Amino acid sequence: MTTLKLALVGNPNSGKSSLFNALTGEHQHVGNYPGVTVEKRVGRGHLDNTPFEVTDLPGNYSLSSFSPEERIARDELLHGGFDVVVFVADSTNLKRSLVLLTNLMQLHKRLVLCLNMADEAKRAGQKLDVPHMSRLLGFPVVETAANRNQGIDELRQMILKAASDPIPQNRLVYGERLDQALTKVRQALGDGEVEGFDPEIRDWIATRLLLQDEGLVFKGPTVEAAKAEAAKQREWLESQTGMDASLYITHSEFGFIDGMLREVTLHETMPDARATSDKIDRVMAHRVWGLPIFAVVMYVLFWLTFTLGEYPMGWIESGFDFLAEKVGSLWSDPSESVLASLLIDGIIKGVGGVVVFLPNIVLLFLGLAILEDTGYLARAAYLMDRIMHRFGLHGKSFVPMLTGFGCSVPGIMATRTLENERDRLTTMLVLPLMSCGARLPIWMLLVPAFFAPKWGAAVLFGIYAFGILVALLLAVLLRHTLLKGEEAPFVMELPPYRLPTLRAICHKMWERAWMYLRKAGTIILAISVLLWALSTWPKTDHYQVEDQLASGALQKVESIDKAAEAKEGQPKQVTETMIENMKKNEEVQNSALGHIGRWIEPLIKPLGFDWRIGTALLGAFAAKEVFVAQMGMVYSLGEVAEEEEEGGDADEKADDKGEKKDEAKEESTSGAATLRAYIRRDYSQATGLALIIFLLISAPCMATIAVTRRESGRWKWALLQFGGLTVIAYVLSFMAYHIASLFA
Amino acid sequence: MATEGSPVLTRALEDYLETIYEFARDHGYARVKDIASARKVQPGSVSPALKRLADLNLIKYERREYVELTEAGAIEARRVLSRHQILTRFLHEFLRIDAEVADRDACALEHQLSDEAMDGITKLFEFFTACPQSKSGFLELFHNCHLMNAANPRCKACTLPASDQPKLSIASLSPGQRGKVRNVSARPGIRQRLLDMGLLPDVEFSVERVAPGGDPVWIKLLGFQLALRREEAVGVQVEELP
Repeated sequence: MTTLKLALVGNPNSGKSSLFNALTGEHQHVGNYPGVTVEKRVGRGHLDNTPFEVTDLPGNYSLSSFSPEERIARDELLHGGFDVVVFVADSTNLKRSLVLLTNLMQLHKRLVLCLNMADEAKRAGQKLDVPHMSRLLGFPVVETAANRNQGIDELRQMILKAASDPIPQNRLVYGERLDQALTKVRQALGDGEVEGFDPEIRDWIATRLLLQDEGLVFKGPTVEAAKAEAAKQREWLESQTGMDASLYITHSEFGFIDGMLREVTLHETMPDARATSDKIDRVMAHRVWGLPIFAVVMYVLFWLTFTLGEYPMGWIESGFDFLAEKVGSLWSDPSESVLASLLIDGIIKGVGGVVVFLPNIVLLFLGLAILEDTGYLARAAYLMDRIMHRFGLHGKSFVPMLTGFGCSVPGIMATRTLENERDRLTTMLVLPLMSCGARLPIWMLLVPAFFAPKWGAAVLFGIYAFGILVALLLAVLLRHTLLKGEEAPFVMELPPYRLPTLRAICHKMWERAWMYLRKAGTIILAISVLLWALSTWPKTDHYQVEDQLASGALQKVESIDKAAEAKEGQPKQVTETMIENMKKNEEVQNSALGHIGRWIEPLIKPLGFDWRIGTALLGAFAAKEVFVAQMGMVYSLGEVAEEEEEGGDADEKADDKGEKKDEAKEESTSGAATLRAYIRRDYSQATGLALIIFLLISAPCMATIAVTRRESGRWKWALLQFGGLTVIAYVLSFMAYHIASLFA
Repeated sequence: MATEGSPVLTRALEDYLETIYEFARDHGYARVKDIASARKVQPGSVSPALKRLADLNLIKYERREYVELTEAGAIEARRVLSRHQILTRFLHEFLRIDAEVADRDACALEHQLSDEAMDGITKLFEFFTACPQSKSGFLELFHNCHLMNAANPRCKACTLPASDQPKLSIASLSPGQRGKVRNVSARPGIRQRLLDMGLLPDVEFSVERVAPGGDPVWIKLLGFQLALRREEAVGVQVEELP
């Protein structure tokens, strides 16, 4: 049995997605149309015994050529070969949402009209003569409430029935004058072939010619004549009606729908149907209170995300630790086995480091799904648009950017709410500049290391503010260069507040969570393994520590005898753990990663960075917080390492040595504090400033790159984001380092 | 040409009067040789003209070096000069004719134009420069109009019925006010979106509220709610409903 190809078309907010979910269940695939940042959803299922494949076309108000979404929906409808097209209309706003249907009626397709959200419309008092409507239109009409699973079975039956019926006659009537003009253009077109178009849709081609839709190219022997005729008819229509063609055609489309609705409406919607929603808006969308309320809503959302997320994060962490331990126990000595190292250090730790953010993502998207489905997000966009618009962004860019403070990955995924491709790309590209949660541990390490405690909070605030500033300036720059073009208009429908259904929200949440796990997970896995390999090979087969132990320069003891240590000339005492640490340090230095670190040193020297920072920066690419771990690794924490390095210039440092010892003792309780002390010792404040700026702006982590590639549909944008931000970071860090050095 | 009440002056005499007025205004005095050099004539040929002006009681000229305007002369000179200035500005600012050419053309026009026509031009000019409603760039519309200059892109606004009412757009209404759409003019893509949203002639709407900072505007029409930026809202011409 052949698979039935279905398409869903309709306005945004018509409940198209919930209908799609109701038809397909979980059998769906979400991706992008090739080369563009427009979401493509395809799902599968069965109608009785007939298998079907349904495509959810981008939500639209018209099928002209002005936006990529409109073009894609139109091209898919023209050339996608769909057996049945299901048009989804919002029952509570029929007049407006049915206008698009008139465009479809000319396309010579088997149509089914689905009046969604019928339950809500009925509650509001609307009553329609559905069979009569079906007779007037010439194709099946069904009332549904997809989010409550009502009317879906009937819809399925109607789709099957439509699929077996012949394609119905087009019953669209535009009115005397327009029909007369169209007939003339149609006659000029005659029976001439129009390349690449179904001969049955000449009515539609005639309408497009009359509209002068420049996004469509028609070729054929009679096209030029038809174009000339269309120009003549435009003049005639304008002289007759006082309206230009596009105005008059839209006017006539509304006229057709209005006339049809008048005939089938048994009872009108009560005038106060939206009273409750309006009352809520009087507070939530208030000119003065709207923004403070929005700030509180967002604050609560983030607070819940990060506090409630902590518990499952702890579980996941211990789960992965347990797993690592179990895997390790399969070997008698895991440190000897490369496979054990790959499994534990490469895969389990790499993937675990990503999966650990899953609770945050699930909670954040749960919150956002609730805000979106209630209709509040549309209000938020309305409230924020003025501010965002100044920087070439859209009101809807705000929530994704705010999400970026938690993590860039869900932030970039949340740009899906933006309809316009250019707005979406701009938001996506600058989003990593919002200092994410993974960068917080870095600030916690570096800020106290380079700045006095009293400045700590101010510096931290400054980092966040600087990120936002650079992001906004970059957005302006992008809109004037690469993503130049007409700005998307802010013409947005504000649907009434609705009580979201649990099913819809869980579906959205699960979809995003799964996407995070699967897509970002696979690429992260690959890069984790790569980084693991780089830091494992080449192997160190000869340790200097062992030489020193053998030569007596170091003495292995159970625990360090503080009194003995003070004596000059005595061999340095080291414990078992210290030796392990020193070995690890040597392994890192000898590994490919260590070599790369030294190799890129000349490149990062102008910023005041050395090879150690270089290796840590490479690690930060895997995940930002790895920077801290990597710095710890190259410094191979332990007092011995410090003394070893200081050994040569002991006299020189004698003065402050006592002081430093005390400090080290005080801070020995905390690894981070010790590391901080080393960092303070080895790097100037100017380097610190440059490092902070570099980490804030440069190369977003690989998960971000992966998700940008996924969401933008092209490697080009992901690489641009990676390269562009790194170059900007380099320039700004260079400037910061040299300017700060002048004042030091 | 000249109507009752104002003395009959030839074009040359008007020019002399203008010149004398300008010198008197700028330097405090006007000398015969200055007038001659400004008008680009021999000083000798100035005298007959000055004599005629003196006969008409417009200047005091007693074969001396200095010429003075009488009160009547000053009034007449100001009248001539203001005609010249308005015409120059009209030609330059409205019709965008090169400044120099405009000045020359104004000289030619100012003497020939009837007071009635001059009055009309003056009023039109004042209306466009002073009326707050004209700020919507009507003059721009004229200069960018496809019909006026084939190089311009086609504009859809001009085919709609003209209205004698001042131009109002959605953006000029405040929350609580109601209106009816008259016409929609915007860039093609945005215009189609506005039309698809139901902003069509004769559709009634009410302005519900505005966002912080006054932008976007939130309106209610055809039973649903729509937010649009002022940028887009100015393209929707409306009439206010009580």
